[in-house]
Amino acid sequence: MSQTVTVGAIMNIVSDPNPDPSAVASDIVLQVLDLKPAGNRYTFNVSDGKSKLKAILPSSLSSEVVNGNIQNLGLIRVTDYSLNDIPNKNEKYLIVSKCEAVSPPLEAEFKAEVKSENAGIVLKPKQEVVTKSAAQIIHEQNGNMAPTARMSMTRRVHPLASLNPYQGNWTIKVRLTAKGTMRHYKNARGEGCVFNVELTDEDGTQIQATMSNEGAKKFFDVFEMGKVYYISKGSLKVANKQFKTVQNDYEMTLNENSQVEEAVNEAAFIPETKFNFIPIDQLGPYVQQKELIDVIGVVQNVSPTMSIRRKIDNETIPKRDITIADDTKKSVIVSLWGGVSLSTVSKSIIEINPNSPDSQKLKSWYSSEGKESNMESVGSTLSPSMKSGSMYADRVTLDHITSNPSLGEDKPVVFSTRACMSMIKTDQTMYYRACKKCNKKVTEEPGSGYWCQACEKTESDCRLRYILSAKFSDVSGGAWFSLFSEEAEKIIGCPAEELDRMKSQDDSSDFQLQVKKATWVPHVFRLMVAPREYNNEKRQRITVKYVSPVDFAAETTLLLQSMKA
Amino acid sequence: MDTSNPAVLVNGDLLRSYVGRRVRTVVQVVRPEAGGLTGRSTDEKQIVVKGQMPASLTTFVEVIGVADSAQSIHAEIVTNFGDTFDTSNFNQLCQLANGDFRHLFI
Repeated sequence: MSQTVTVGAIMNIVSDPNPDPSAVASDIVLQVLDLKPAGNRYTFNVSDGKSKLKAILPSSLSSEVVNGNIQNLGLIRVTDYSLNDIPNKNEKYLIVSKCEAVSPPLEAEFKAEVKSENAGIVLKPKQEVVTKSAAQIIHEQNGNMAPTARMSMTRRVHPLASLNPYQGNWTIKVRLTAKGTMRHYKNARGEGCVFNVELTDEDGTQIQATMSNEGAKKFFDVFEMGKVYYISKGSLKVANKQFKTVQNDYEMTLNENSQVEEAVNEAAFIPETKFNFIPIDQLGPYVQQKELIDVIGVVQNVSPTMSIRRKIDNETIPKRDITIADDTKKSVIVSLWGGVSLSTVSKSIIEINPNSPDSQKLKSWYSSEGKESNMESVGSTLSPSMKSGSMYADRVTLDHITSNPSLGEDKPVVFSTRACMSMIKTDQTMYYRACKKCNKKVTEEPGSGYWCQACEKTESDCRLRYILSAKFSDVSGGAWFSLFSEEAEKIIGCPAEELDRMKSQDDSSDFQLQVKKATWVPHVFRLMVAPREYNNEKRQRITVKYVSPVDFAAETTLLLQSMKA
Repeated sequence: MDTSNPAVLVNGDLLRSYVGRRVRTVVQVVRPEAGGLTGRSTDEKQIVVKGQMPASLTTFVEVIGVADSAQSIHAEIVTNFGDTFDTSNFNQLCQLANGDFRHLFI
């Protein structure tokens, strides 16, 4: 299908004013000119390079103009139409009932080239060339339009997604969605200053732009958060993925030759920074990951300003911790680092009392419920103690552990993993007799009860506590884990006493069923790995520190993240 | 298991590429209607579902049926998917199943 205007198509339309929708000629590509709103519809002229027709876009297609698919000077493929006469006038108008955008706006009105019939060289008479200054030409083209409207008329704006290092002739129209602080540095070559910004265009594509020295000085005061700019004459290079915070293969550099011009009256043009808020109770999978996230919450508590000394350069940085909570009834601590005003925090954007629908929703929740409810720190659901850590940090598959026998040699290493129990030996000792007070092993004293060495007492009865090993498997392979007490109970599904009772029955079917039910159930584990010597043989010992049920949505998010990396 | 007419996993955006084909998707119920419902897809587009509905609807439903148009599905099966559903995960699934990993799907 062609991507250019079908010359002569209008003639075909005129000769077939009311075609059957299935019989519309396959390729009618026309240019949209003089696009104007008329009530809830749009009127325009269509051109095939030779002739023009008045046209109307029905209200059902208005959204295509609003979302930018159909634009003035752009090309559309008309797939269904009807040509009507304008009453009392010797003119026709085209109702474009179905069409699709084929090309973004062209530089100018398309004019079909007139084929010259004459063979040979035709000498054109010398034409008077009147030189005009660029300013004069622009003025004539646009009359008394405001300067920035002129700029948007004469400039072809490129989508950020189309920029590449090999084509330098572009202009972009972007909103400043983040501004970093000016950093001063000293290296072998001398001193310098640098800062970067984040730019977003109307498609939502983002790119980081860096300016140093002359460029930095030139543009630092020009760039203001939230304002829209036309930028050209920057250069692009492949982004350093380690440091990038926006999704773009490239990053931009602006120097003193680059052009940055503010676009006024464009407040509605480019969407405001789009936040993708993560509810606080779902922050788990993001712990210790590199991805930046957005959160929104009601401030519950603000700590006094602390001063932290940075080891690298001995500089003291002020810090405050604020606790925010949201309608998931969970709270989290946000640490704020840096200067006098919040906006100088380099990568993060903090909007106080933002005017967004999410913010309104949160405000109304807080005034109705939130004030009364007791917030639980989201950290408390992630792990029982700070020592265990998160179920989403240090995530590995089992082969990572089993393939490296020297893991944890100096100090035991901790991982998290998701696996299923695949096998358990039921003829092993699965539990021990424990002192009810101190949980230590007790020795049976026939007749008198159980003697606890640590408590130096004999009690009449004792508790049974799990101590067992079982094989667990995941996609990568399997490994034997050691499990104790409460964590083993989570896997087996019943307390040790109950399992013992089932085991000692004549008919062991209850016991077999319990064990069978426990196999191939996925769990998330916090594991500690260290090598151990066993009969002069070095073996790996994997101990389960904590078990928690699988949160499928969180695991999916984790999988998707690792697929993107 | 009848594999003769597999349904393509779609979201609002992908639906238009499969008009006339059998599709499956999960939508948030915006408004139940007579003989159907209006739903919001996991990528925030409106999808109209026509067909037989279960007696009571949960917040999210899975719809399997034939795509009538870029915004509507004629449902064969509508299943309640509960009141909590991770729309972002499902949306990425649709994109991957029709993009980089389409060879693993239909």
